[in-house]
Amino acid sequence: MDIYFWVFAVMAVGAGVFMISSKDPLPSALGLLTVFIALASLYLHLNAPLVAIFQVTIYAGAILVLVVFVIMLLMTPGERLGEVQRNVSYRIMGAILGLCATTLIGLGLKGVYDLVGERSLPEGFGSPNQFGELFFRNFLLHFEVASVLLLVALIGAIYIAKKKV
Amino acid sequence: MDDWLIALIKVVFIWVWVLLIAVIMTWVERRGASMIQDRLGPNRAGPFGLLQPLADGIKLFTKEDIVPDKAKKILFSLGPILFALPAFSAYAVVPFGDKIVLGGKEIILQVSDINVGFLYVVALGSMAVYGIIVGGWASNNKYSILGGLRSTAQLISYEVPLGLALLAITLIYGTFSLREIALAQQGTFLGVFPNWGIFKQPLGFILFIVTAYAEANRVPFDLPEAESEIVSGYHTEYGSMRLGLYLFGEYVNLCTLSALIVTFYFGAWHLPYINMAAFLGPISYGIASFLVFFLKVSFFLWLFVWVRWTVPRFRYDQVMGLGWKALIPLALINLFITALAIQLTI
Repeated sequence: MDIYFWVFAVMAVGAGVFMISSKDPLPSALGLLTVFIALASLYLHLNAPLVAIFQVTIYAGAILVLVVFVIMLLMTPGERLGEVQRNVSYRIMGAILGLCATTLIGLGLKGVYDLVGERSLPEGFGSPNQFGELFFRNFLLHFEVASVLLLVALIGAIYIAKKKV
Repeated sequence: MDDWLIALIKVVFIWVWVLLIAVIMTWVERRGASMIQDRLGPNRAGPFGLLQPLADGIKLFTKEDIVPDKAKKILFSLGPILFALPAFSAYAVVPFGDKIVLGGKEIILQVSDINVGFLYVVALGSMAVYGIIVGGWASNNKYSILGGLRSTAQLISYEVPLGLALLAITLIYGTFSLREIALAQQGTFLGVFPNWGIFKQPLGFILFIVTAYAEANRVPFDLPEAESEIVSGYHTEYGSMRLGLYLFGEYVNLCTLSALIVTFYFGAWHLPYINMAAFLGPISYGIASFLVFFLKVSFFLWLFVWVRWTVPRFRYDQVMGLGWKALIPLALINLFITALAIQLTI
């Protein structure tokens, strides 16, 4: 049994449950922070230090800080959140969607495992150099497509924000 | 087993050392302030008032610990801890000297030389803000929340130029490892300049030092606590040792940032034009490199104090404007020129 994995897996799931069940928005955000950090620890365990660090820098360090910024700016969600939470059909829909998503991810994982199986890691696996090689040699097109997508999202956000002014 | 023991000793040693520097810094700050303002400052406890930090510590520990009635209790006590932890953790990757040979065993003066060290530093730099946010939110006080809010906006704005300035450094040295960056700064280039980051990245250095001041919430960027506008910002409601932890974390942060400035731009443990390794024995070389490194760090620590008591505070919109309209474009230009220069010289 892999103790390292179990410690951080339990931590991630526990923090996730805490995040969605907490009534106060800021502790909820801190729960999400714990999830991110537990996931980063799991990436480290999987020999992917670069992914782990990016997880912390981008998700925990930038995106979540923005989320917290909005939480502090709007203070409390007020009655609207309670209304949504009490709505039974929303709850049932959420449960069904969550179950479907979990099944999909589970099946996907099994598929990947059947395809790849267990194998030993090549030399220098997960190092920044190898990451760069993969990104800018083998998967350059995919990388560029992803960056164009982000650019489109950025322009769209500016457009939507502009209309309201 | 031996490696474990060495690693443990290194961790404990650097931890205690940084704590000691933070303690001394509280004294340096007060004495420095009085020097600049033409008064004496604390000079009663011990020689030159050097025992003043000890007296302050005893005062903070024995003071009544007040938690406001309407505060969120758990978060309130979590805040200072969240603030102080990342500052200490950053030291895990900072090389505080070259190497020392003890009993035929070569020991690198760095807790851990990981190949993503540079990104680790950036990641931890963005973690410190949670301590401020949690403290500000949990206090349940308008001024505290304003302080936390300012801190988040400031951090997001200044994280970008900080990362971009450091990216130019990694372009030049071709590695993410802090030890390799430090090693590459030995010797000279073009015959006259030491091989230091500041001579290769002058604009990058200015960008980095400005963003470092903003990340540390120091004057002229101390908007989160601006005492003339929002009382004391995020730590308005804090007292006794909890406040002590916040103040202490700030000095540890300063120490970390100074160490990073030295590592990236001032040749880490190297002296200009002199190769210490050539004429010093293995043990004395290790100690000398450690001392040289912290001599440089102490200069930048003093610079932090010097700036604090010399420059007035920015207005809030000026801070945001400087970040987005000046530093980020400059950092992008710097990165572009660096990349172009490397492309043309290869």
